[in-house]
Amino acid sequence: MLYDVHLELHYDYDAPVHGDRHLIRVTPISMPGQQRVIATALTFDPKPDLETGFADFFGNAVTTIAYRDYHEKLNVRLSARVSVEDAEKAADLSPTLNGLKREITALWSLAPNSPHHFLGSSPRIDLDDAITAYALKSAAAGRSAEAIAYDLCQRIHADFAYDRKATGVDTTSTEAFALKRGVCQDFAQVMIAGLRGLGIPAGYVSGFLRTIPPKGKPRLEGADAMHAWVRVWCGLHAGWIDLDPTNAMFAGPDHITIGHGRDYADISPIVGVLRTSGHHKTTQAVDVVRVE
Amino acid sequence: MEKRNQRPTRVHSSIIADYRLIPGVPDEMIDAAGKIRPGWAKLIDAFDALGPTELAARFERADQYLRDAGVFYRKYDGAEGKERAWPLAHVPLIIDESEWASITAGLTQRAELLEQIAADVYGDNTLVSRGLLPPELVARNAEFLRPMVGIKPVSGHFLHFCAFELGRGPDGGWWVLGDRTQAPSGAGFALENRVATTRALSDIYAQMHVHRLAGFFRDFRDALFGEARENDGRVGILTPGQHNETYFEHAYIARYLGFMLLEGEDLVVDSGEVMVRTVAGLKPVSVLWRRMDASFTDPLELRVDSHIGTPGMTEALRQGSISMVNALGSGILETRALAAFMPQLSRALLGQPLQLPGIATWWCGQDAERRFVADHLDTMMVGPAFSTSLAFDDQKATVLGGALSPDEKSALLARLDASGGSLVGQEPVRLSTAPVYADGRLQPRPIALRVYAARTSKGWTIMPGGFARVGSTLDTTAIAMQRGGQAADVWVVSSKPVERVSLLPREGEKLVRNSSGSLPSRAADNLIWLGRYAERCEATVRILRAYNARLAEVSNPDLPILVDTRTYLDHIGVDAQFALPPGLLAAIDSAVHSASQIRDRFSPDGWLALTDLSKTARRFAAKLEPGDDATRAMTVLLRKLAGFSGLVHENMYRFAGWRFLELGRRLERGIQLASIVAWLTRKGAPDGALEMLLEIGDSVMTHRRRYSVSAGPASAIDLLVLDPLNPRSVLFQLAALREQLEALPDGVNEGQLSPAAKVALELHTKLVIAEPEQMTPETLHKLGIGIGNLAGVVAAAYFV
Repeated sequence: MLYDVHLELHYDYDAPVHGDRHLIRVTPISMPGQQRVIATALTFDPKPDLETGFADFFGNAVTTIAYRDYHEKLNVRLSARVSVEDAEKAADLSPTLNGLKREITALWSLAPNSPHHFLGSSPRIDLDDAITAYALKSAAAGRSAEAIAYDLCQRIHADFAYDRKATGVDTTSTEAFALKRGVCQDFAQVMIAGLRGLGIPAGYVSGFLRTIPPKGKPRLEGADAMHAWVRVWCGLHAGWIDLDPTNAMFAGPDHITIGHGRDYADISPIVGVLRTSGHHKTTQAVDVVRVE
Repeated sequence: MEKRNQRPTRVHSSIIADYRLIPGVPDEMIDAAGKIRPGWAKLIDAFDALGPTELAARFERADQYLRDAGVFYRKYDGAEGKERAWPLAHVPLIIDESEWASITAGLTQRAELLEQIAADVYGDNTLVSRGLLPPELVARNAEFLRPMVGIKPVSGHFLHFCAFELGRGPDGGWWVLGDRTQAPSGAGFALENRVATTRALSDIYAQMHVHRLAGFFRDFRDALFGEARENDGRVGILTPGQHNETYFEHAYIARYLGFMLLEGEDLVVDSGEVMVRTVAGLKPVSVLWRRMDASFTDPLELRVDSHIGTPGMTEALRQGSISMVNALGSGILETRALAAFMPQLSRALLGQPLQLPGIATWWCGQDAERRFVADHLDTMMVGPAFSTSLAFDDQKATVLGGALSPDEKSALLARLDASGGSLVGQEPVRLSTAPVYADGRLQPRPIALRVYAARTSKGWTIMPGGFARVGSTLDTTAIAMQRGGQAADVWVVSSKPVERVSLLPREGEKLVRNSSGSLPSRAADNLIWLGRYAERCEATVRILRAYNARLAEVSNPDLPILVDTRTYLDHIGVDAQFALPPGLLAAIDSAVHSASQIRDRFSPDGWLALTDLSKTARRFAAKLEPGDDATRAMTVLLRKLAGFSGLVHENMYRFAGWRFLELGRRLERGIQLASIVAWLTRKGAPDGALEMLLEIGDSVMTHRRRYSVSAGPASAIDLLVLDPLNPRSVLFQLAALREQLEALPDGVNEGQLSPAAKVALELHTKLVIAEPEQMTPETLHKLGIGIGNLAGVVAAAYFV
């Protein structure tokens, strides 16, 4: 499945700012067997005085920009052509919770995709007794890790209301769980907290959804903005499996990945804007078109 | 010892006559056989020779020194920490150099081991892949800073300065209780302890061949400067700021070693380089000795909620343009659970066993260890595995199993089962005792040693000394200073005379001068404001004194000149209904606040004078009556203000820093003068206005001598505005401002004046040619605004 992705982030400052610095994580990465990035272009207006790039710990593509002089707005535009594999979902090979625990203990690795990074608290996600108790209802005895994750994904979709006004980018999983509402970021972070509470490694995925659905299929929630979902480590054989609690489904050919982290803080699209200016207006536009 | 039995008889009994050892606990002064240890005998003999009265007076001298030097730390017992006097335990802890040699060897080995662990954790991770270090201990550790993975320190080393907490165990050997690698504090306090203790005991100190501390600091300073010179940059101490508990020490070390004292906002990262904003523009910094926890140093890539960091610091590290002492992320080495793995890590990395053992530790993320801790719960300290505080310093989160109720115990066992990986069991710490001086005699108290290691050109060096934390009671948990513990100097004694060291250059060594371009903009800004607030206080006090003196004479507050002065004071935010108005207290507080942020810039005497002023004003505020009482109080405050100004201006080196202080004073005096002259020479000013003005302007005598007429508006204006020789005229202030502005960096550049110097020249020239009659209140008002604008031009030029 071949897509053209366009993203525009726009910030209007109330007062001109200068000497500001930002980290931007919006450029999709190639992941063998899952997606291939064919071309990307990231442009800024005004033109930054300094622009560098690097790959962060989790392998995400990060761009740093800095301005010396005063400017009143910041405009970020991404264009990318990405090919997403349309693979058949593999059979469930994941072990039970106890089996998963044994596999984790036997895995002596700190590589970026090692499940060890995705088990404890992270900046936006605390292990939370209430969320763990909620998740425990999905963990029927003898169930596989993947089945537990899938069940939790369905339940969050059913129990939580999609509500753009209820939460903000800084909302933690604990806060969103108390509200039982929010957007994709909140759905994902609550699900991650629940899985980690059960001992299932879980991470945050930032990405895009196809804007116009295939014929006869409903338009997915969150398709008009940047999207987020969850990846779950389901054991040595199954590896990482992506689940989208906002749409109650396995992530598939309509999901285009930007990158991974433990939670939103590791992969937020832009850092540094709020610091520079207390007041600004933000707009975000996303367009993901299938090309043949 | 033989010698003790031969001592001459005295009228008083020995200071250690009723020193009682605690059974089973080793003591630093008395050995297991009940004999006094060699080094101590000299000290006790000397104490006894002085006698109790003299000894108490000597110890008071040490305390006096610490008070005079303004040595304090911050104690947190509410939202805002309070400043507390440094709690010196007067009796030094004496350790023989042969025993110290084994500590030195053990800690050198340990520092090297910690360096290799850090390099592996942030590098190839072979310790994890070889099964020597559980991945969970790293991956779930908040001190594991993922952005640092793969960044090789530009110096080649992660660790440059470490501290170790040591205790003497029941077997008589030294044990490592904890490693401090994040941002170890206290080395400066160790120095101050030494200074204070030797003030009290200089004669004894001279006889006892005590190893000096200065060499340790000199070598470390030279190492950092050496690294900075290679990269043509400056060395700074990165401090979280004046609210940090050990800010005094940051300022002290900066002053002592000649480093810049920097806060996150002083720094900016430009094109991957760390620069400091100075009054001469951006200047490169190449070494930062960090006293700030790593995650706060960069709000972009580390803690986004940090308000004390520098955006882009991580980028600068990635580009290898700055050396961080210690590397960001080295705090992970302080993790309590790591102690469980140190013996095997030492064997694997160094091929040697640890020379100094750590306290026995079991990480409960492993089945066998968890079972062991559960089975021996009663004799186990159980606490958070990822904590970086010492078990006995951590009363909130760490518990002794045996002290728990049955319910608490089963709850703990359940936690061990459910989340053993987050818990660690440790054997309870037993400490030795050493004498403290209390109620005129020596008494045993538990002690722990804090020892420092620094990386120099010769490798690791260990400070020959350090400080000992001494408990306030016999309970080992009471040695934390936050709980009433004290700190003692540590004397490592030799049988032969020791090398005398100082920080002054040695013979044949080149003198290195720091350039004046190194004044950080923030410090300059604070200096200007300190000058302005101090002057504002003085102006206000002068008006209040004149006002209250008249009130005392006539005791009719409705007299027009009194009503008029109250109206003026009201305009400047001072309510003269109060004998000591809140507006004046606020100005004094502002001066103290500005000064508190630049403690490294002026002498302890200046700081003491200022805090004394603040304390006196507060004391007055509680009970002062308007009129005569207030007049006298204002005279006292005026004298104290003059004392502060004198100390600062007479003792401060004429560097850029002094110039900014002077600019503040002159700007404020010019503004205040223009304002009060305009008010009291206006049409319709009440009777007595001109006499009042001359008194406020401290120019009564001069006026009498110069004009030999009664004061008219023209003569008052001539003297207080246009007279170039009167230090209290506006013209005099402008001349001083010109002089200072032209002497600043870029003040005059190839014959061209800086924008600020131009503005000052223009204001000055206008006034030079003006006649008294032209100085109407409107003109004076504009003049005041002009000087105010000049302050803005200075700020724009030097503080961006």
